Amino acid sequence: MNKQRKEPINYPKIWIAFGILLALITPWYFPGSFDDIFIFGLPLWAIIIIIASLMLSATLSYVIKHFWMIEEEKEEIKGKE
Amino acid sequence: MDLAFSGWPGIIILAVYGALMLGVGLFTYLRNRNIHESLDEYYLGGRGLGVTVLFFTFFATQYSGNTVVGYPPSAYRQGFEYLVSVPFFIMIIMAYLLFAPRLYSIGKKYKLVTPAQWFEKRYKSKAITILASLLMLYGLGNYLLEQLVAIGQGVSGLTGGTIPYQLGVIFFVIIMLIYGWLGGMRSVAYTDTIQGFALLFGVFMLLIGSIIYFGGVPTSTDYMQAYSPEKLGIPDAPGVRNWLSLLLLIGIGAAVYPHAIQRIFSAKSEKTLKRSFSRMAWMPFATAGVVFLIGIIGINAFPGLSTGESEQLVGMMASSIASQNMIFYWAMILLFGGVIAAIVSTADSILLTFQSIISNDLYGNYINPDASERKKLLVGKLIGVVAVGILILIAWFPPATLYQIFVLKFELLIQISPGFIIGLYWNRLHPKAVFAGMLAGTIVASVMTIFDLSLLNIASGLWGLLLNLIICVIGSLMMSVSEKEESESEQVISV
Repeated sequence: MNKQRKEPINYPKIWIAFGILLALITPWYFPGSFDDIFIFGLPLWAIIIIIASLMLSATLSYVIKHFWMIEEEKEEIKGKE
Repeated sequence: MDLAFSGWPGIIILAVYGALMLGVGLFTYLRNRNIHESLDEYYLGGRGLGVTVLFFTFFATQYSGNTVVGYPPSAYRQGFEYLVSVPFFIMIIMAYLLFAPRLYSIGKKYKLVTPAQWFEKRYKSKAITILASLLMLYGLGNYLLEQLVAIGQGVSGLTGGTIPYQLGVIFFVIIMLIYGWLGGMRSVAYTDTIQGFALLFGVFMLLIGSIIYFGGVPTSTDYMQAYSPEKLGIPDAPGVRNWLSLLLLIGIGAAVYPHAIQRIFSAKSEKTLKRSFSRMAWMPFATAGVVFLIGIIGINAFPGLSTGESEQLVGMMASSIASQNMIFYWAMILLFGGVIAAIVSTADSILLTFQSIISNDLYGNYINPDASERKKLLVGKLIGVVAVGILILIAWFPPATLYQIFVLKFELLIQISPGFIIGLYWNRLHPKAVFAGMLAGTIVASVMTIFDLSLLNIASGLWGLLLNLIICVIGSLMMSVSEKEESESEQVISV
């Protein structure tokens, strides 16, 4: 087993971050006053949900790239042989 | 779907499309003559799918023709509350991160071909493997039935009824069976790629056309502010619960689709799988987001439609746009060709996984373990063809009673997830608890769905899943596993 081995499930911080993002993509926290605010024809609350969704996609890409390395090194060494 | 603009160009597009799929099947057959001797080669494309093909084949499991034709009417009726369709597709990738990294590694180590084979490896329990296999076959069968009906309706709609429903189904099913038979997973994945391109191109043209001819989202918002402000408002408490329930149900449910799991085993390497997932994390904006906007624009373009009428929304919008000029005309023909293509691509993936569970888990494991791989493959393929024949009959002659049993899919498929996912990490998970949980969850979810019972606006599949999870965990804590079994499980799940 190599030192570089990483699996997302082993990092509680990742799942705390996902939990926070899950809370942010659910529209429970908007004050009623947001009802009448529109930007480029979209309700403000919907824009915030879209931004939070983009943040979730970015976080997922980041985690996939940097916290998931189980076979990669072995496979690369094998590929070079 | 009744499209005023279609007719012979629709028939041409479908014929070209059918020929293209057959060509792909023939091409893969000629290039890979050996695939009919090995389950790995046939069902998993020799575990060698590269980034683009793997990406599109995952894409086809998540986005079907229904995403394009069925989602805009929901956005039309619910307004901005249906924005949930964007994040729920992102949640699927989050759910994959719970299990895909380890599953890929274990799949490689034990040369797993089907999801049911993981249950066999992990629990060594005939009862669990058979129950899980049956749940998957049943869910997949109903899912396939839904696709067959959609193919027929799509073809007759696109050709303005020139090609009747039955002929449409038979035409595409035969093509699908031929290219599937010839090339297995490779054929399926290559056709998924072509289908994905056609669909993406079509929805973008539909969005552009809608903005040009009906006015963009701001025009629609002005209309809603004046006539239906509830479609713009922040969801109320039951709305928020429904939103969260959709995020969880679809996130976990679509990630544990048996055909989606099987694609993890097909990846050429971990890097390929990671890159495909990374792209998938951004796709909801280009697919669900775009069709959501189309539905919102529809509120202003075709106001006041009843629920039934609104189901035709995409057809109506496409007809108006197609009548504007030649470019949009052909783009809309391509779009509907793409919609049918996407339905076929979902159907072929389901069928392939259905056949693999028969070949590998039921026939190959219990009925005739000594059979050669060639024979196992042949049995799976033949039973798959018979199953499609039966499903076509059901689609043509729907039974008058008990129709609800053909609706169960998601609710059942999701019940395999506790045993499947927690079993990857927890060596003390007890086989008896897994079996009891899976069975109890299935019963609760089925009864609630069949009798249309609802609790707190949360999906019945999730209630079943909750009970399933509680039984799995508490049951395992109460029953002891022998030290030998514990260390054996430890061995199996280590990566």
